[in-house]
Amino acid sequence: MLKLPVAETSISSLGIVAPPPIQVECDAFSGSLATLFEMVRRHKVDLLGVPITPICMAYIRYLVELQPDQIDQAAAATVALAYLVEQKSWAIIPSLDEGTQESPDLDFVDPTIGEYNEVIQAFIQLEESRDQLFFRGSHVGDAYEIPFSLGQVSSGDLSRAFERLLRKAVPDPPEILNKPRRSLSQMMETVWDSLTDDFTSLVDLIPAPFTRSEAVWWFLSLLELIRHGRALLELGDDDVLFRRGYGE
Amino acid sequence: MNLVHEVEALLFVADQPVTAGQLAECLAVDRADVDTAIQTLGEILSRGSAIQLVQIAGGYQLATKPQFAERVTKFLRPQKQRLSKGLMETLAVIAYQQPITLAELEAVRGVQCDYSVRVLLERRLLRDVGRRQTPGRPMLYGTTQQFLHYFNLKDIQELPELTVAKAQPALDFGDRAELPAPVAEALGPLASS
Repeated sequence: MLKLPVAETSISSLGIVAPPPIQVECDAFSGSLATLFEMVRRHKVDLLGVPITPICMAYIRYLVELQPDQIDQAAAATVALAYLVEQKSWAIIPSLDEGTQESPDLDFVDPTIGEYNEVIQAFIQLEESRDQLFFRGSHVGDAYEIPFSLGQVSSGDLSRAFERLLRKAVPDPPEILNKPRRSLSQMMETVWDSLTDDFTSLVDLIPAPFTRSEAVWWFLSLLELIRHGRALLELGDDDVLFRRGYGE
Repeated sequence: MNLVHEVEALLFVADQPVTAGQLAECLAVDRADVDTAIQTLGEILSRGSAIQLVQIAGGYQLATKPQFAERVTKFLRPQKQRLSKGLMETLAVIAYQQPITLAELEAVRGVQCDYSVRVLLERRLLRDVGRRQTPGRPMLYGTTQQFLHYFNLKDIQELPELTVAKAQPALDFGDRAELPAPVAEALGPLASS
């Protein structure tokens, strides 16, 4: 079922040591340990049909015959085999879907979130009735001041929209020397082109994936467009939405 | 000077709730006299004014009456920032379970709550109230005076009652002798317990 070809050094161009080519032959799979490892990771092979014990035996035999200079390959094989053993263990543990009884010891939170529904409704009613009252000095502006009008949208809303955008951004790649830089006006043109006549959130506006620098550039350009009346904004359910403006 | 007018003047200039104790200290009078003055002021305002005296967030404050809300809204054009369902859920759990850690909150809601908590902290509806003395010393969160003000509550005791489902009581089969014989037999020890 298993055969051990002569171990050979297999260091990839990235410097990662591949597991030694221990051959696995069974009904469900035929190939090297490294291939099996990769196939299982990609969910291409069902480990339930692959017996693990003979692979472990072959691995131990490999260790016995190991040459001192193959220690890295042995380590790589250990990692691959440990992964397979773990995956196989999880696969053979009975799951609740198979009609087994729920454990009586399951620890549920008390009260559960469903039990808060009534009070949440009460909170919504309190919030609505509170909206009918106005107090002295309770309508002060935001902590951040923007030198132009954002209409019904506060600067806090805008900063939260920006924060949401940054969370979706990927890290910047290492900076390329002599990389041509785009000017803000060029960037503004790009942003204006992507705006439509329908209100869209900032996250949906930028083609993904985008880096943090790009997110900053987009946001700054959008601010400039708002200042010039070339972008309009409004508050959606929980986000700020933008659309094209025509300088009106 | 009339004490009622003095109290009214202080409440008029206050931009946050003022307690009876603060009023008594400022006016150098007995607390009982301030309580009486507050009650009188409330009655006067409720009879013939667009302003009312409300007890909110542990103190007293002057506010416009609800029937003028539409006019005032048109004049002030306040920024409506209703809490979303998720934020409301987070706030409700914290209000009833405070002080609570983020992990405990997430265990109840079943979703990540760091963003909700951050937004509610920014809106000053939540605050950190210390750290739990367990490994990792996680931050504990609780509600603020602003929370009480936001929902027009006098104090935290005034929160709507949280009805928690009780465990169902065991079925009472009564006297075994009253059950039909085959049923009693089938129930076995259950019927006699």
